[in-house]
Amino acid sequence: MTETYLAPLWISLKTVIVATAITFFLGIAAARWMAHYSGKLKGLIDGLFILPLVLPPTVVGLGLLLIFGKNGPIGEFLALFNTTIVFSWPATVISAVTMSFPLMYMTARGAFEQVDTHVEDAARTLGASEWRVFWSVTLPLAWPGVAAATALSLARCLGEFGATLMLAGNIPGRTATIPVAIYFSIQAGDMNEALILVGIVLVIAFGALAAIAYWKGKAYKARAMMVNRESVE
Amino acid sequence: MLEVRAKRKLPGFTLDVAFSVNQEILAILGPSGSGKTMTLQCISGLVRPDEGYVNLNGKVLLDTAKGINLPARQRKVGFVFQNYALFPHLTVSQNIGYGIRHLAAKEIKDRVAELLEKMNIQRLGDRYPRQLSAGQQQRVAVARALAPEPEVLLLDEPFSALDSLVKERLQLELQTLHRFYRGNMLFVTHDLTEGYKFSSKIAVFESGRIVQHDDKEKVITSPSNHTVARLVGFKNLMEGSIIEIQGATTLIEVPELGGHLRAMIPKNLSLTTNQRVTIGIRPEYVRLSERPGENTFLSTVDRMSEGVASTNCFFHVNTVGVTRHYIMVILSQLDSCVIKEGQSNYLYLPPEHVVVITN
Repeated sequence: MTETYLAPLWISLKTVIVATAITFFLGIAAARWMAHYSGKLKGLIDGLFILPLVLPPTVVGLGLLLIFGKNGPIGEFLALFNTTIVFSWPATVISAVTMSFPLMYMTARGAFEQVDTHVEDAARTLGASEWRVFWSVTLPLAWPGVAAATALSLARCLGEFGATLMLAGNIPGRTATIPVAIYFSIQAGDMNEALILVGIVLVIAFGALAAIAYWKGKAYKARAMMVNRESVE
Repeated sequence: MLEVRAKRKLPGFTLDVAFSVNQEILAILGPSGSGKTMTLQCISGLVRPDEGYVNLNGKVLLDTAKGINLPARQRKVGFVFQNYALFPHLTVSQNIGYGIRHLAAKEIKDRVAELLEKMNIQRLGDRYPRQLSAGQQQRVAVARALAPEPEVLLLDEPFSALDSLVKERLQLELQTLHRFYRGNMLFVTHDLTEGYKFSSKIAVFESGRIVQHDDKEKVITSPSNHTVARLVGFKNLMEGSIIEIQGATTLIEVPELGGHLRAMIPKNLSLTTNQRVTIGIRPEYVRLSERPGENTFLSTVDRMSEGVASTNCFFHVNTVGVTRHYIMVILSQLDSCVIKEGQSNYLYLPPEHVVVITN
């Protein structure tokens, strides 16, 4: 009995954690790159990165199917190693990453562009490599924005349904995440099961929100303390 | 020794400068938008000029012809930004230590302590930049730039964010900087007094070019053109033509004064009769006189604006017709109480203070 609820919960948690982590790094890398890129293709690349946010999730799912499917470029390549992505657990991660990436990218890029370039330049004249400038100056200064971006991405990963259904399907115990399981419970007319899953999702969502609020609050407190330790002179 | 050549074309602006600095303090003086800051950025490697060459103490930092362009981090150029650009998330000590991370922990600690003491901010080590006054922030910025022992220190408008009291104290303190910093120093300013106090030489920038680069006294006493003259405080500039040359002095016809003016001929300047020249005199050198004579013009006080220690007076010469050309005179409080608006007085323009500019 508990299997019905624990399996989707476990799959969703795994997917959310792994997908958010991947989106975090991919989104930051893309944001940092585009914040400094000023080539001709800027508009085009920017559009491509944001596309999954604008398209219906089913369309994105179909696109992923075409890429990762048996006859798709990546699908064919993976077939050489006897691996398929479609209808496997990694597909849930790929769908979630694709759908949450635009949010991470857009929000983080905005945060990076807000950082005073003089402060970054100061680090450069002090001998810092681009890598060090990014980790010791840009990222800490953009941190509130990057944290918000991560929270948005996490929420998007947790709620991901359309693309996941297209690419990963509904295999109980393997690819059925909570949103997918809820949909199929309703389809099967099992309202109780659906409501219990909804309850679980609510707990996770509130838990995540509380964690973020606590985390942010801590950051604010640290700042407030910095301000309040006013000069004695 | 720092040798700089830089050309950079932007829409509506072209930078084209060449100069060298030899173990001295150079002030880059010019109005905003004249390319001063961009020049510093070219030296530090934050901006790459289209064409350029930078050589610092024998090391080539930039040579576009040979494809050499060291990144900013390898140039050993200290940069103090106009807004100081301190790292807001690091303490003062961490800010100062940022550029010397390669040293051992003990050495970093000692060096930071040494700089805190030299900059007279010993007790601020644990503070964050937002807890500091503008003056304190500036000291931290200077200490941070000096920590890695740069071979040249660039300061971009170092005093522009400070109120006048703090400014004067800091200027005095920074003048003593060279006691413990023996490299080249370049600083950008749009304020002549600041440039003069601080430097040994002045380079005057105008729309991307250097119009004069000389010892500071030379820039002040014999500006090379109209713009420099205006920038260095010659508020009274008038057109004229040479009537005759008599030994070390010359007589110039100046329509705006409605008469002739005698001036000293600067050394190395050859003048010919009928040559068009610009003459200039600082408002603080014009004097009141009681009787007519050479270089003396009967003028009427048009406006007076009283300052704290001196009064700015605007005169117009009586004999000149419809168009009034004002002569600005700065008088001490004592002198200014003998004149009134609308009253006529003789103005005397001492020949030794009249500057002749040929181009």
